Formats: sequence, C-alpha cells, structure tokens
Amino acid sequence: MIIPRTIRRFKERREFRDSPYAHLFEPYKGDEVVSLDCETTSLDVKKGEILSIGAVRIRGRRVITSERLDIKLKPPASLTGESIKIHKIRASDLADGIELDEALEQVLAFVGNRPILGYYVNYDIRMLDKYIRPRYGFGLPNKAIELSHVYHDIIKWKTVGGDVDLRFDTISKKLDIPIIQRHTALGDAITVALMYVRLKFGAPLAE
Amino acid sequence: MSESFNMDNLPFSLLTAKEQELLNNNLDIAYFQKGETIISAGEVPEGVFIVLKGKVGESDGSEAIDQDVSAANVFVHYQDEDYFGGWSVLNGRAIHNFIAVEETICHVLPTRTLMELIASNALFADYFQQNLTAKREIVAQHGQNQDMAEFMLARIEDGTIREPLIVLEGTSIAEATRMMREMKADCVLAKKGNRYGMVTGTDLLDAVIINGLPLESDVSEIASYRLITTDPQDYLFNALIMMTQQQIERVVVMRGTELLGIVELTDVLSHFSSHSHVIGLRVERAQTVEDLREASRGLTDLIKALISTGVKIRFTMELLAAMNGRIISKLFDLVIPNDLRPHVCLIVMGSEGRGEQIMKTDQDNGLIFRDGLEWPEKHAVMRKFSETLISFGFPPCPGNIMVSNPEWVNSTSDWANKLNDWSQKFDGESVMKLAIAVDGKPVAGNAALFKVARNAFLRSVRNNDIFFSHFAKASLNFDTPLTFFGNLKEKGVLDIKKGGIFPIVHGVRTMALEHRILETNTFKRIEALVEMEQMRKNHGENLAEALSLFVQIRLKHQIQRVEESQDGRDSTPNAIDLQRLNKLERDLLRDALRIVKDFKKHLASRYHIGS
Repeated sequence: MIIPRTIRRFKERREFRDSPYAHLFEPYKGDEVVSLDCETTSLDVKKGEILSIGAVRIRGRRVITSERLDIKLKPPASLTGESIKIHKIRASDLADGIELDEALEQVLAFVGNRPILGYYVNYDIRMLDKYIRPRYGFGLPNKAIELSHVYHDIIKWKTVGGDVDLRFDTISKKLDIPIIQRHTALGDAITVALMYVRLKFGAPLAE
Repeated sequence: MSESFNMDNLPFSLLTAKEQELLNNNLDIAYFQKGETIISAGEVPEGVFIVLKGKVGESDGSEAIDQDVSAANVFVHYQDEDYFGGWSVLNGRAIHNFIAVEETICHVLPTRTLMELIASNALFADYFQQNLTAKREIVAQHGQNQDMAEFMLARIEDGTIREPLIVLEGTSIAEATRMMREMKADCVLAKKGNRYGMVTGTDLLDAVIINGLPLESDVSEIASYRLITTDPQDYLFNALIMMTQQQIERVVVMRGTELLGIVELTDVLSHFSSHSHVIGLRVERAQTVEDLREASRGLTDLIKALISTGVKIRFTMELLAAMNGRIISKLFDLVIPNDLRPHVCLIVMGSEGRGEQIMKTDQDNGLIFRDGLEWPEKHAVMRKFSETLISFGFPPCPGNIMVSNPEWVNSTSDWANKLNDWSQKFDGESVMKLAIAVDGKPVAGNAALFKVARNAFLRSVRNNDIFFSHFAKASLNFDTPLTFFGNLKEKGVLDIKKGGIFPIVHGVRTMALEHRILETNTFKRIEALVEMEQMRKNHGENLAEALSLFVQIRLKHQIQRVEESQDGRDSTPNAIDLQRLNKLERDLLRDALRIVKDFKKHLASRYHIGS
C-alpha cells in the first residue's frame, strides 16, 4: 500500500514521539540546510546500493565545508561495470569503507531535522529510506529542497513557453558556479550547495 | 578531502600532506554578493580568504566605506585563487576594507587554523609574513620555474655544433697536429674509406710519446672508429648524459649517414651560460663593420638563453650592458679615426648608461669633445655611426637622443652648461633630458672629458634643495596602479615602466645625485645609498627586488611578443598583459607595486613634494 509521504510522516511523528529520534520530527527553526548526495550502483532505487554519501551544511550564505560528511561504504555485491563507469568508484576504492549501520547513524546525526537539499533529492532520500526504514521503522521526515525546482522557479519567468534545461551541467554553467569534483558524493553536495546559495542570495540571473 | 581547493599554489604548496589535510578540514566556502563587504576596516577578520571565483577589491580603511566599489580608492584587486586578509589576520585587526566587486565565492581559512599552520611550518609562515625579498627567495628555492624545462628541452641543433676538422687517410700525425693547432680544434676526424675515426689530442700524445710512433705515421691508424653519435634532433641533455656515462668529452652529430659536426662537453655545459664568451670573442675579433654586425646578432639568443637558465636578472643586465658597451665601443674604433679618439668621448645614457637595458630597446647616446677641437666632419661621421647601430638592431631613440642629432654632440664646457641649464628649468622636457643625461656613462674614447663635465655639474647642484625637490617630483608623475588586476577598463594591460620601473629608477637617481654617488646602475646606486645610511637596508633590498621583478616580467612579455610578431618587433615594450601572468606572478607583482607606492610616499615627504 502506498501512503503519501506527508501522511506517513505525520503518523510516524506521533509514533516516535517518545523515542530517542523524536527530535528528527521537530519542525526545523534554524537557518541551516544540509546539501546531500549519494553515489549508488544504479539509478533504480529498488536495485541500487549506496557506495558513498557526502553532505555539507549551509548556514546562511555560507557553505560550511569544514562540517561535512564524507562516508565511504563497504563495497556492495552489486558494484559492477556499468555504474563504475560513471562514478569511477571500484571495489578497491571502498576497501576501508564503513558498515551501512554506522553510516546511517552518522547521516541521521549530521542531518538532524534540517531540510535536505539535493539535485533530484527525492532519489537520494528514497535511497536512504530504503535502508533506514527497516532498521528504524521510519523514513527521513525532513523537508526536501529540490535544487532543480528552485532553479526552475527562478528561470521559468525568463523562458516563457519553453522548456527549462535542468541538467546539472547546464545549471552550473548558467549560475557560473565551478563544478567541484563531479561524481563524488561530497563534491556534488558542495556544488549543489553553492548553486543553492547563489540562487537564494545572488543577484537575479542575467539572461 | 574537499578537492575544491587548489593546493598547488604558493604558499599552500609549502605545506606537508598532513598540514594540507588540516587546512582542508577547516575550510569553509563563503558566497558574497556584488558590493558586499567581506572584511571591514577595524574589525577582527575571521581568517584568510582565498578567491575561488569572482573579484574582490581592497580599499583604504581611513575613508568611510564607499558603496561604489569601482571608486578610485580601491587599490588592489584579488581574483582567481588570490588570497587576501593575511595581513589583517596577523595584525589582529583589518586596516582596509575588502569588498566584493562582483559576485564572489571564497574559501575561508579560519584564523585559528592559519595560526596552527604558521606555528608548524616555518617556510609557510615566512611566506605569509615576510616581505617581497623573502618571498622571492622561497619561490626560487622551490623552483616554480618552468623555464628550467626549456633548458632540459634544448636540442642538439640549438647548441653549438662544431664544424669538424676532417683529414683524409694518409695524413701524417705531424700534419694533423699542425692543422689542429691552426684551426684551434682539439680533435680531428680521420676519413678512411667512407668511415670516420676520431683522434683526440690525448690520442696523439699517447701515439707519439707512449707508443713511440714516428711523426710521419698515418693518423687514420690511431683513430678510433667506434664513434659515439647522436642525432641533431636529440636533446642536448641526452648528449650530456651520454658523455657522462661513457666518460667521453665529445659526441659526433650525424643526420642519417651525413656527418654534421661535433658537440663537445664544454659546449654543452656552457651552452646557456657562456654564449657571452663566444659573442664577446667575435666582437673583439671583428675587423669590419660587417663582422661586428654578425657578432651582435647573437645577443638576442644570448638573452633568451640566460633568462631560461634562471640567471639572476640583475646579472643578465650587467652582462648585456657590458656586451652592448663592447659592441658600441668597437664600432667607435672602426668609425672614428685613430688620431681623434683621445679628443672625444662617447657616452651612453638612459637605461643603457645605467646598464639596465636588456632587449635592445633604443639607443640613447651622445658625444663630448675637447673644447676647441677642429673636426668639421663630426656630424657626418656621427650620423653614420647612428645609422650603423640601427642596422645592428639598436632601434633609433624616439626622443632623438643620439649622436646623429647635433644637440647631443657637445664640447666639454657646452655639455656642462647644458646640464646646468636643464637643472635650472623645471619644465618636463628639461627634467627628462637631465634624467637621461645624469645616467650617462663613458664607453669609448677619452673618459676624462666626460668626468670633467659631470663633476662640474654635481658641484653646481650641491645642496640645492629646490632643484632636488623639482627633480624628484617626476617620480610621482604616474600613478602606481594597484587596481589594475583584472581591471577591464585598462583591458588588462599595465604599463610597467610608468607604474613601477620609472618611479624606482628616478627616485633612486635623485637620491644618488643628491649624495653624489657616481654609480649609474640603479642597483648599485641603491647599495651605495644603503652604505651611506641614506636608505634602510631592508628598504633597499625590497626596492632592488621589486625592480628586478618588474624587469624580469617585462622581459618575459617582450620575448613572447617578439616571437609572436611577424617582423620580430615589439611595438609595446612596456606593456604587461595581465592575461599572461600566472597566479604567482600576480602575487609578487602586487607586493612589488606596494613597495613602489611606499617608496613614492617616502620621496614625497623627503623632498617636500605636495600632491
């Protein structure tokens, strides 16, 4: 049965009111956002497995790269040819990776109840939920901020009637943001964070 | 692990891997809108900022923060991996405002981490805290010198391939030895059939003295036919390795089966450093103007070679001045009749007189003759002299300060009077002429004639404060453009002569005149001023370092432009194209321009020049 995320979140919030994870369900009051990105073996949530997780906090207009998450996981069985071509992570690169349980603990502690920002962020959240739900009994309750939506909302006024090109590289080019280490989880998280800050606080985009 | 930060740049490249990790773990990235203040004067800055993208202007803190960041009070721009705020952090408080000129993304290195790094890495600390001199030394030691690669990449054919002395089979040992002596060769190739064999001086000695062969024996009998050969396209460096490995001193250059010549160990070793020696010899030996012209052609290559081996620019200039001087004096000997030479004196002035001319920019010269000398043809002869120099590649002086111009051909007393006249007029032209003239140096003929006039002049301006005040003023004429970094208005081109070189040279010239220092070279004048305690030692060192940096950067640009231009000429010799500067050069240039700015302030107060 598919329950809409909002309803389920509401339900889970009540269920976990007295658990050690209750604070995750509190509405967030601060000014921080966490930019998060996962590298996985497949773009299909059902088949994919997580290889690495990168995240940075954004505080106001600053990307706090000194407070970051840069997790490598133990290589999963599904790490094979196709995805290696994209993210260039081989099993040997993950030799000193940590266990998934440990990684999820770190993610929850790092993110807290802050909004999660990402490029196609729902994919990352669903990916994490896939592992969090069986272990904790809930999914990430955080508010999600989709970078391409933020971008689209701003750019659409300029391109009436046309489709907005939402490819990662196009956005970075339009915003004139340098791409930092494409296809590493942390690099993408930082790049997305910079794009977000630029969109949020920068001057209106020149066409 | 954030690889967004480039560790390859100084001073961060001085850090150890562990320190770089510490740095990386503490970096944040900050975003600033156009016009936003990043550090404001009087505040405690949070750390050092390194520009990832965008542009930041530094402006004077004494004035109220001006929202108009393009205003004239911005004096430095930072961009592309430049760092700023180091001073402020070390002083604990910012003295200037740092404002984003355009949207800017910066890495932020917090003060705490910076202090940790400074404490743990002495070299890094030096680079951060020290003055320009120390910085340049660190740079030199760490060999961020791509030019070195050019040295490694020189090919055999670029070097000196000697024409071999070839004798045919049947030539006697005695005959071969005589020929070697005549041709000043220290080896000979004996041709036997279609093979060549090498005979060195040692081989000859061994044959005659140790093996007791008669002098009539065939030299081809003692030759060694297992020649070590190389291709003209091969690297000179490889030839050197070959010689070292085989313990030999020469290799034969062959293109296919064609014998091209011999490369000697001494030639390889001196390829880059003592071209000068070869050219010098050729200049000395020149019998005709034509010979001299040939010899002087090698100078440009010599300059390039010296620069590429990283010889200190100051010494390069000295050497070049000496070479130019020799060419000019040789020409003087060829052109001026023998009996007249003791009665005239040829002087070079301006940058040549100071010995600071590197590329042959232009000729500034003059002639002084004994009072009452009868020499009606002098102007005709001098015109010919100038024309010949032009044909050697010394371009004519745009201000026509040349011996072909009668204004610059004077008797000793006329010359002394002219100097005096100029020193009493304060118009721009007189000051300029005087400035050129006081850098004069005798190069040929009777130097006493020049000294008499100079000494008379120095006596006349002694203690004349008004003169010095006016004379010094010229050094403040041009603005020193610290804002030029990335300044689109100037299309990214800086006139390094106006902005940097002239203020130093002229300021030092004024001080040297005041203290009657006879040296004309700016570096030597600075040393003399330091010696006389008219200038603080570290100030002198910084000025000298700044000047040599300007000259070096200018030279690099000149060489590039000459190579790119079709006619081998450089129409904008003083332009520094900012696009071509790397990050390190920008860094050093900025420091050097600051030194100029301070020096100008010093001059203004010393000579009471109101702005």
